[in-house]
Amino acid sequence: MVFGKLKKALKKFVDNVTEVVATKEISEEDLEPILEELVISLAESDVAFEVAEEIAAKLREKLVGSKIPRFSNLRGHVIKALEDSITEVLSRGYRKLDLVAEAAKRSPDNPLRIVFFGVNGVGKTTTIAKFAYMFRSHGVTPVIAAADTYRAGAQEQLRKHAEKLGVPFIGGRYGADPASVVYDAIEYARARGYRVVLIDTAGRLHTDKDLMEELRKITRVAKPDYRALVVDSLTGNDAVDQARFFDEAVGIDFIILTKVDADVKGGTALSVAAATGKPILFIGVGQGYEDLEPFEPRRYAEKILADLKQEAG
Amino acid sequence: MPGLDDLRKAVGKLLKRSGPYEAIVKEYIRDIQRALISADVNVRLVFELTKRIRERALKEQPPPGVSRREWLVKVTYEELVKLFGGDTEPEVKPPYTPYVIMMVGVQGSGKTTTVGKLAKFYRSMGYRVGVVAADTYRPGAYEQLQQLANRVGAMFYGEPGSKDAVAIARKGVEELKKRGADIIIVDTAGRHGYGEEEALLEEMRRIAEAISPDEVMLVIDAAMGQKSYDLAKRFHEATPIGSIVVTKMDGTAKGGGALSAVAATGARIKFIGTGEDVDELEVFRPRRFVARLLGMGDLESLLERI
Ligand SMILES: Nc1nc2c(ncn2[C@@H]2O[C@H](COP(=O)(O)OP(=O)(O)OP(=O)(O)O)[C@@H](O)[C@H]2O)c(=O)[nH]1
Ligand SMILES: Nc1nc2c(ncn2[C@@H]2O[C@H](COP(=O)(O)OP(=O)(O)OP(=O)(O)O)[C@@H](O)[C@H]2O)c(=O)[nH]1
Ligand SMILES: [Mg+2]
Ligand SMILES: [Mg+2]
Repeated sequence: MVFGKLKKALKKFVDNVTEVVATKEISEEDLEPILEELVISLAESDVAFEVAEEIAAKLREKLVGSKIPRFSNLRGHVIKALEDSITEVLSRGYRKLDLVAEAAKRSPDNPLRIVFFGVNGVGKTTTIAKFAYMFRSHGVTPVIAAADTYRAGAQEQLRKHAEKLGVPFIGGRYGADPASVVYDAIEYARARGYRVVLIDTAGRLHTDKDLMEELRKITRVAKPDYRALVVDSLTGNDAVDQARFFDEAVGIDFIILTKVDADVKGGTALSVAAATGKPILFIGVGQGYEDLEPFEPRRYAEKILADLKQEAG
Repeated sequence: MPGLDDLRKAVGKLLKRSGPYEAIVKEYIRDIQRALISADVNVRLVFELTKRIRERALKEQPPPGVSRREWLVKVTYEELVKLFGGDTEPEVKPPYTPYVIMMVGVQGSGKTTTVGKLAKFYRSMGYRVGVVAADTYRPGAYEQLQQLANRVGAMFYGEPGSKDAVAIARKGVEELKKRGADIIIVDTAGRHGYGEEEALLEEMRRIAEAISPDEVMLVIDAAMGQKSYDLAKRFHEATPIGSIVVTKMDGTAKGGGALSAVAATGARIKFIGTGEDVDELEVFRPRRFVARLLGMGDLESLLERI
């Protein structure tokens, strides 16, 4: 069941609150233990602790002293507070982007440039292949730049994807300056009229200062239209640190959450959106090229609250 | 990050606070729970653990010269270290040769890199090491392992054209044994085994059947969250896990998910990965790990005094 754990936690919360509100106006003391339980169960669903507390604070504000007219739809009221809190956190920086349409409109001398960042092994390279597939199937062939000249096999990995997808690949020798690969790829796209360049970077932990400096250099050369941060949805509390560090070091425009097919608990989405205020635009749901889905906050909130809403009528 | 650096403060607070002991314990327990949950330790495990700590804290008398609060810190530490296998360092020397290790883990956890690191580690202990590339899914997996094997001087077996991971693993182990390898490490594809991936779990089982590994090593990313308990359990049920490696400990993640994996499998953590380089592998030391989990790196001195 998708996000099953999170759904259960929210249902329990609604049950708890309605039980109290049914008899009287809800006070801070009434709410405290209930919120504490909610925070713990959110944490169990991989919502980072600080984000869980932020959601609890929002709910406190919305619910304390709330006078709910007798005989009105109690559950509905609580669920609404919950839905609003979650949607607020998720859509803080949300905006819809149509990357394919944007790329199609670009003039050939100024291709759309997207750089992919993220810690080691989250799925950057695979996500680029999925993006290439998405652009290509809409008739906009991208150029792929393998600016990971560091990790063993990184060049071959992306080259093989490019071959399978039938899109141009620009790589470099291991140990070469990744920024020069980026430069070459953009020049190649310009010279041949490609309208989008997808740039892969080496995975790195945000704690590595030298490597972060290298990313800044890549960014200076690429002058990206978009800087995408790739985050593994299996990540726990560290998701918040990762997202913040990268946003500070290079700046982030949007986020892609991968491995959502791993029966994840659903909380990492809340964590990264809350920590950065940046939109999650896509989720990765498998290792195939077509396993990339658009993400929308409202739909996510609806999805995790659908069962609750249905039974509340 | 809440909870972690806070915990050190909590301990400080605890050491200074006056008032009824029970109230102090209660507040302290709550702080520890927050710290451990923030470090991604499985929530249920956290509650079991803190229940034990509370019981000991309220029942036991500290030795002479040690305050009850100092004792409380000590008890916390001891209980956690116990979960990680106590004070003994894990045995990393193979009990006999040839010895076959099979790597398993979720996508991107660091299996292939760790194969390279282990090969280097065992080479430097004087063993002849061979590695097998049995990941037939990820593009470039073959080249990645081949490059790592070259870098560390390990024997290498792979079949770039084949999609049959089971056959590659079987032939690879046979062939490397013939070539005189003492330790053979088999790299496998990343998998989580849920939903559409059910077949991948089955493949893992079949590889294990074909090579009967002496040890199955589960590779866990230090940043993995609450899912690690379920995942480790699932892997353990498919092919019993013999040991655990925690990778990417050079980041900010606290590695609490690894504790969940220990609990789910009963296996010990043997190594930690502390960087991308082939020599960035360390033998696991429970005390250091626990200090990190609790976010109190310099607590050793206090504990030594007690
Ligand atoms: N199940 C699943 N696996 C994924 C998904 N996205 C990526 N992967 C897998 O995750 C593993 C790592 O992916 P890569 O694309 O190599 O990750 P990366 O971030 O480029 O890694 P580095 O360059 O080493 O930092 C591969 O085995 C991918 O197939 C996803 O959405 N679902
Ligand atoms: N910083 C750091 N990076 C690591 C460590 N161990 C592995 N990595 C990196 O993590 C990423 C993924 O490592 P891989 O060895 O390809 O992971 P894998 O489990 O084989 O991936 P799949 O085969 O796709 O499932 C690479 O970028 C590695 O360099 C570590 O201890 N520290
Ligand atoms: Mg990559
Ligand atoms: Mg691998």
